[in-house]
Amino acid sequence: MSAQQAPVLPASTPAVDAGQLTVGQALPPLTVRFTRTSLVRYASASGDLNPIHFSEHYAAKVGLPGVIAHGMLTMASALRVVTDWVGDPAKVTSYFVRFARPVVVPDDEDGVEVNFTGTVAAVDGSAIAIAIDATCGGQKVLAAARAEVDLGN
Amino acid sequence: MAISEAHAGRSYPPTPPYEVTAAKIAEFAAAIGDSNPAYSGEASLAPPTFVAVITAAAWEVMFADPELDLALRKIVHGDQGYRYRRQLRAGDRVTGTLRIDKVRIRGDAEIISASLDLHDAAAELVCTAATTFVHSRDAS
Repeated sequence: MSAQQAPVLPASTPAVDAGQLTVGQALPPLTVRFTRTSLVRYASASGDLNPIHFSEHYAAKVGLPGVIAHGMLTMASALRVVTDWVGDPAKVTSYFVRFARPVVVPDDEDGVEVNFTGTVAAVDGSAIAIAIDATCGGQKVLAAARAEVDLGN
Repeated sequence: MAISEAHAGRSYPPTPPYEVTAAKIAEFAAAIGDSNPAYSGEASLAPPTFVAVITAAAWEVMFADPELDLALRKIVHGDQGYRYRRQLRAGDRVTGTLRIDKVRIRGDAEIISASLDLHDAAAELVCTAATTFVHSRDAS
């Protein structure tokens, strides 16, 4: 086996330079897949044990179309568009999302795919605002999602 | 009793101190599928949304407040915002103070805006987590 290069990790990417950024510029997109296993892991890690995230019976009882992903899991995944790009998560100064539509996660191997994109929405010195789009099956699952980073941090 | 506009300003005692550990950060980062190297190692940084681990426990106290008469199964998380002074890291010992900022009643919907201030052991503000919940007040 030949000597392998370490995989390119976010922090090893060159530092983002605020002076080079323009409004409307796109960040590298991200696609994640949620399965029921993802939900169990997030429930355990976060302590959010609401049964709508693992029980079909309970989800139906409260009128949901099926077991849904934690909104906070979608929110956490969406921010990766920003932190993968900026490298250092310490640069994040604010983050907001509105939960527009639940992400239904089927009980099979494939689960469901959620797609995230980010666009530079504002540049003010070293403070950058990123607008994030999150869709599942072509429908928006987050609205008004926006993160701010301070590249001077 | 049910929640009303008059509950704006209601606040709750600080949560018991929560100690951020490298192991919990690693578990959380793995659960969100994030391999950012900042989240590993002994002096690791917590993912910005790690704050959810602490808010969940604080919200439970509000949801269980008999004065508000809320039912967990009728609560929907409407939106979530975070303002950070800095990111949490392993070794931080933090407490959260939750307050109800505003309550709006729109028909059967009770819209609750609540925010949680997270302070570190030096009593410095680390983050404010602002949340909107929608509680359905129906007959059932």
